[in-house]
Parts: sequence; structure tokens; C-alpha cells
Amino acid sequence: MLNTDGQLYTIEGFAAALIMLITAYMVVNATSVYTAGDTHISDMQLEALGTDALRVMDTKESLNTISPLRNMVESTPIGTDNTTFGAMFGNLINNRTTSGLDHIQYTANYSYWNIDDNSVNSAFINASRNLSGGEHAVRATKWVVVEKHLPGDSAWLAQNRTVLVEVLMWRD
Amino acid sequence: MAGAEPHRSCGGADVARLNDDAQWIILMGFLVSFSFFFLALVINQSTVVGQTTAESVIEFPKNDIRDIRGVVISSADYPSSDEARMRTDIPAIAMSRKNAVVTFSSPLEINNHTVMNIHYNNGVTEFDENWTSL
Repeated sequence: MLNTDGQLYTIEGFAAALIMLITAYMVVNATSVYTAGDTHISDMQLEALGTDALRVMDTKESLNTISPLRNMVESTPIGTDNTTFGAMFGNLINNRTTSGLDHIQYTANYSYWNIDDNSVNSAFINASRNLSGGEHAVRATKWVVVEKHLPGDSAWLAQNRTVLVEVLMWRD
Repeated sequence: MAGAEPHRSCGGADVARLNDDAQWIILMGFLVSFSFFFLALVINQSTVVGQTTAESVIEFPKNDIRDIRGVVISSADYPSSDEARMRTDIPAIAMSRKNAVVTFSSPLEINNHTVMNIHYNNGVTEFDENWTSL
């Protein structure tokens, strides 16, 4: 004959299971675990910030002037450092609404095409810190049209050329 | 004596009686443990899903395409000798530094509009535009 003595235990078991499941659900939902898959959130914000800063720098202040970024690329001889870039870019990415600066580091260079030997070369612009290789860096880039005499140009005069300004950014 | 007797004589031999009172509780225990297993499985998979989502979001070259488009369109405003120089600069640097194939046609004047074809392909995302100036 079927024994129905354990029915109350069964209901209790159901109740206990539900309580445990709901508790586990709430605990898992209340805390967010920063997984490897979430790094894109801060990476993308940093990349957007860098791209915006480069865009601002490549904007002319008036019709007859050239953009600060273009001026920096044109006025920096290859192999030298341009601290004006650091002052402007560093400010744009590190300024906060409250006092005190953020801690974003960067290293910037630009790539150009050498017509003479058909190669792409890079020229340094400025860096807030040297790359050690351990940084989790993101890259922001901007195409800039410059009037400059680049290595490999047959003409001695400055010519209109397109270069790619590349900035690696990371937090430390 | 009330209730089940621990020992009942069955023809001279003593047989232990099967007790099946708590079977449902054991089954419920199984159910709960299985549900925990599945919960753990789902949580385990969520990190993998997050990783692939992150990769696909990062991979989409929104800024690259905007930037390339901008510089290619601006090249149409330059004299043809400058424009020809930029025509070699842009695809070469894009291929070398951005791993992207970029081609664009010479600007054509049609009915007082400048017309240009822009092509971008970085192996994952392809972009083609038939640009017409205002």
C-alpha cells in the first residue's frame, strides 16, 4: 500500500529548495564579478577618449589656420620630441571635472610612407612614459594631411602628404 | 505494540522490513543538486559569452571607417598632384598599420558634384561607399 507519511517532508523539501535557489540567485545577482570579458568596457572608453582628443586636436581654430595636430606633425623634425603635443593631448585626456588629474599615460608617433624605398616608417612625437611592454594599452589613431618634407621625398619642398598619427594609451 | 514491529516472524526466518518513507526527500535532494549544477553551468558559460561579445565589439572598426572616409573625402579638395600622392600614402599606411585594404577612385566631376568610390576591408568588416558631394 502507498505510504503517504512523507508528504509533509516533501513539501518542506520543495520549500527548502526554493529558498536555497532564490538565495543563490539573489547573491549571484547582487555582486558583479569583473571577468576577462568585461575589460572591453574600460578599453572602449579609453579608446573613445583618445579618438575624441585627437579629433579635437585636428580641428582648425579658424579658416586660415591649420589644426594644432597638423602643426605639431609639421613642426617636429623626425627623431625629435614635441612637448606641445604632450601638453595638449595630456590635458585633454587627463582633465577631470573635479580637481586633480587622471593617470592616463600615452606614447604617440606617426606613420608615413617613404616614396623612395616603398616602406612605412614611424616617427616619434611625444610620450608621457616609456613603454615597458607590460601595459594593457589601447590604440587611438587619426589620419592627418600635412604639408611636410618627409624622408624619401624627391622634391626638397614640403608637399601635401597623409600620415597616420597613432597613440597608445593606458592607465597605471 | 503500536506502529511497525521491528521484527516479525515469517515462518521462522527474520527478514528486515524495507523502509521507503523518505524516498521523496531523496528525490528532491537530487532535484536541488541538479539545479545547482545547471546554475553553475550557466554562470560558467556567461564569462565565455562575455569574452566573445567583447571581442566582437572591439573588432568593429567604427572610428577607423569614419576616419578613413574623412581623409579620403578631404583628399578630393587637393590639386591632382597632391591627391595622387595621398592616393599612395593612404592605402599603404592603412595596409601596414591598420591591416586594412583601402582603395578609392579618383574624384570625378559629374553635374557639379564630386563623385568618389571608397572601399574598406579589414578582413572582418567591409565598407563600400559611393560618395557624392553636396
